[in-house]
Amino acid sequence: MQSIENLVTQIQGLSSNASDITALKDYLKAGEDLLRSESTRLLSFLDQLDPSKHSLGYLYFLEPCMYCSITKERANTLVPIIARFITSCSAEQIRYVPEKFINVCKRYKDQVLLLEAPIRGVGPMLTAIRKIQSSTEHLTTLHPEFLQLCLLAKCYKAGLSVLEDDIYEINLPRDFFLYCYYGGMIFIGQKRFRKALELLHNVVTAPMSSINAIAVEAYKKYILVSLIHHGQFSSTLPKYTSSAAQRNLKNFSQPYMELVNTYNTGKIVELETYVQTNREKFESDNNLGLVKQVVSSMYKRNIQRLTQTYLTLSLQDIANTVQLNSSKEAEMHVLQMIQDGEIFATINQKDGMVRFLEDPEQYKTCEMIEHIDSSIQRIMSLSKKLTAMDELISCDPLYLGKAGRERQRFDFDDFDSVPQKFNI
Amino acid sequence: MDFSPLTDALASKSYEKIADICDDLMLKVAAEGIAFQDEWPYVIHLLGYYYVNDINSARFLWKSIPSTIKDSRAEVVAAWKIGQHLWTRDYAGVYDAIRGFDWSQEAQALVAAFSELYTKRMFQLLMSAYSTISTQDTALFLGMNEDDAAYSDVQQQGWTLDPASRMLTVKKQPHVTEQKLDPSKMQCLTEYVFHLEH
Repeated sequence: MQSIENLVTQIQGLSSNASDITALKDYLKAGEDLLRSESTRLLSFLDQLDPSKHSLGYLYFLEPCMYCSITKERANTLVPIIARFITSCSAEQIRYVPEKFINVCKRYKDQVLLLEAPIRGVGPMLTAIRKIQSSTEHLTTLHPEFLQLCLLAKCYKAGLSVLEDDIYEINLPRDFFLYCYYGGMIFIGQKRFRKALELLHNVVTAPMSSINAIAVEAYKKYILVSLIHHGQFSSTLPKYTSSAAQRNLKNFSQPYMELVNTYNTGKIVELETYVQTNREKFESDNNLGLVKQVVSSMYKRNIQRLTQTYLTLSLQDIANTVQLNSSKEAEMHVLQMIQDGEIFATINQKDGMVRFLEDPEQYKTCEMIEHIDSSIQRIMSLSKKLTAMDELISCDPLYLGKAGRERQRFDFDDFDSVPQKFNI
Repeated sequence: MDFSPLTDALASKSYEKIADICDDLMLKVAAEGIAFQDEWPYVIHLLGYYYVNDINSARFLWKSIPSTIKDSRAEVVAAWKIGQHLWTRDYAGVYDAIRGFDWSQEAQALVAAFSELYTKRMFQLLMSAYSTISTQDTALFLGMNEDDAAYSDVQQQGWTLDPASRMLTVKKQPHVTEQKLDPSKMQCLTEYVFHLEH
């Protein structure tokens, strides 16, 4: 007859090496029903277990505690216990039952939110990701949870640590959608618009059988960030975008499409009026801040356009063309843009003139070469991965079956039309 | 709370590390469930961000500070005032905010170091953005009085003054960059070509 006390003894005895752990896992699996029925008592037994040595057993005891209804009071007891467990548990052991670990972490997130202290979860959740993922290329279900915590706790910088990894392996599509959406928001907060665009673009163009809310919201932000960063927006999506997205996205973001049209007139007053009349729509989407950035980016865009036409221009002329109040205001705008590296120019206060220059980068410094070098290497490793993936698919019986049915007649040439690699 | 990494960094004047150290510490004490807000060195944390020019993070930190602390700790508000001017690019306002508060002893050295660094950054900006600039504006950007701007400081950098118009002519510094390559790059190049051909 199994009892909780028995299980505790087993855990204490069978946690030292891999074969013991495998045996322990079977043993605990058999005891799962018992643990669930006794879930209210389990917490008191945790004291007898060491989260770092008995991680697997600890996890089996902790998980059922998550299923009863969680009050604020209970969350107050549980949150520190889970945090300590995540920080000290052995990665090897918890990987025997990843779904249980993920479950605990997800409930942990709910609890810190219940306590209105998202910042408490940021550190442990990052540790959890690092422990459960097989490599940094692996996107886990915990990634979006972590990023959401970072956003809520306003620790945007902490989120960057996972966003800098290149993702190659995904378990669930939903993880990917949310990861890119939240990631996009973090980069927007850090004003790294190029990276934000990249992530939001991933959401919009990802395969989907029907339209989803994440993609719609991502599309709205994508439009705004594209205006801020590029000063333009093209509504044609790449060919590989799902037809669900192609058909629906524009209909769901009408006010944003009209914003683009107004932006394209280049008239700041019209844009401001449009934003003012549609303020509530943007506000209810929580996008008003971004919309305001779109408005102020228009001055920059108009100044940038001048650099393509003129070599020198007076500050007063700049102020007149881009509808600024004074030449001093124009000077400050130009100065900011020089500071941010958005244009190359020198201001001559004496004559009140600006001289626009070419980009001084000559692509021959060591630093630049290092940069190009690392880019080439990343592309090379990406192309190797693509080749490997391609080979894998071309040997997949499912794919071959489908491709074979669609193409009945084979010529000999079909198999050998491309010159193959040959050995010398 | 164990602030020793922070105090070490402050003592050794490794100001560029302050922001990261504070971030790590904060996440750590928060995870332990300590109510850290009341004792948190928000002033140092904010200044640490300014030092590495991370105004975005400074702004998010300010937003996360409980309102009771904003009401009760004047120095935190004063530190954010610097951030506000940095955020709105009110270049001269930054100096006013720095001088406008009697900083506590812990903050003094960091404020002074930031102020010096900020002046350097501004000087670089003026040098890259202007060919001629009035002494008055130079003084505002560099946080000094007009006579200093006209005569002593910038002339050491080779800027010349036209006394009639009170305009300074900016002397650009020649840009020195490392352009020498080591031979191992040749090896890389060979590999790239190999990759492209196969």
